[in-house]
Amino acid sequence: MSASATQPLTRAALVEAPDDLDELIEFFHARRWSDGLPIVPPTRERVARMLSGTARKPEEVIAKIAPGFGEATVERIAINAVMAGCRVDYLPLLIAATQAMAEPQFNLQGIQATTNPVAVWLLVNGPIAEQLGVNGGMNCLGQGTVANATLGRALRLILQNIGGALPGDMDRATHGQPGKFSFCCAENEAQSPWDALHVERGYKRNQSTVTVIAAAGTHNLNTHADNADELIKVIADTMAFPASNDYWIGGEPWLVLGPQHAAILAAGGLSKLDVKRRLWEESKLSAGRMCAKEVLRTQSTRGAALGTITSETMLTVAQQAEDIGIVVAGGPGTHTVYVASFGDARAVTREVLTA
Amino acid sequence: MQVYDPTAPVAGATQNLRRTVGDLRGKVIGFIDNTKPNFKLLVDDLGELLTERYGVKAVIKQVKRSVATPAAANVLDDLATQCDLVITGSGD
Repeated sequence: MSASATQPLTRAALVEAPDDLDELIEFFHARRWSDGLPIVPPTRERVARMLSGTARKPEEVIAKIAPGFGEATVERIAINAVMAGCRVDYLPLLIAATQAMAEPQFNLQGIQATTNPVAVWLLVNGPIAEQLGVNGGMNCLGQGTVANATLGRALRLILQNIGGALPGDMDRATHGQPGKFSFCCAENEAQSPWDALHVERGYKRNQSTVTVIAAAGTHNLNTHADNADELIKVIADTMAFPASNDYWIGGEPWLVLGPQHAAILAAGGLSKLDVKRRLWEESKLSAGRMCAKEVLRTQSTRGAALGTITSETMLTVAQQAEDIGIVVAGGPGTHTVYVASFGDARAVTREVLTA
Repeated sequence: MQVYDPTAPVAGATQNLRRTVGDLRGKVIGFIDNTKPNFKLLVDDLGELLTERYGVKAVIKQVKRSVATPAAANVLDDLATQCDLVITGSGD
């Protein structure tokens, strides 16, 4: 194996690797260049084909990825996209997601190096979701869709290979979570009674966007509540747990409302903002439910806003109701997914530019 | 076959200390408190030691908003202006 001496630093190096596929896969595992699953070999031809998915130059630096601050060039993004099994037309979405992750408010340094189980959730809005086949319907957070599986996987490889966050090394996660293999879906805009996330964030319906979210896990809320008041109550009760980062930090938790639940809330006359406000009010947690150290930490993080924190203080899940994220996704069924957040991160949305 | 290396060189691998401080006597030492509950106690003890045993002029303590966020720019500017040496850590 030898790096090509003629390549400038911003260009990726070609290396000699075994011709045999089984040996080649082991070659990648041995160098910790994979996520533990077999990869598609990033040959010169495959990477060139992937790069045809964008008009950008291969050496263009899209972002520097924490914690190693390696340069995510278009070419390196394409290489990792090939390895993950992405199709050529997925590349612009990965470029936009890489840009989004590097925005300071996303706090990628914290996300990458924390002991918390934080996955970067890719949420796709606008026409590109259908064009790429990103699933926002049944089993949208599960297996079986090429775009959902490989886009999230490519992002993980970018975080690991370009950002340098290897598990047990700079990635200090105590457990991690399965979403760190891939966590990607579309919003089910057709079945949402409200504006989609990208419209809420100032984009037009026909613009395509990707939003990156620091997700600490997924929690199933199976409830047959059939009116808005009951549904708000059970969702709010479920959000309020004392070992949640959202309460001691003042976070940005998310709800993936199943279309049935969203329809019940809309039929109750609630706008998306009404739902956020109701949940924010009704999910308050008594600081007395936290352990003593957490109360001290809460004093440090939220004391400036809330004053002295005592065991009687009622803590909100986010600093303001608007910080609760709501999207509609999934298929039929009495389910909603609660996505508790890392806490110290704010989601970032970027337009996907396919030209 | 030839394949691409998917990794990027880690930035800052060749970083060096800008300068060394040498003797601590008369120097101003800063600490960035990471907000973990015991860090403050550790820094109080270290501050006493630095003052009594090594003759530092002053110890300045600044606190981050929370453990996983970087120190705010004004905190860094303040420390850079006032201190000869700043210690960051992850005591718990």
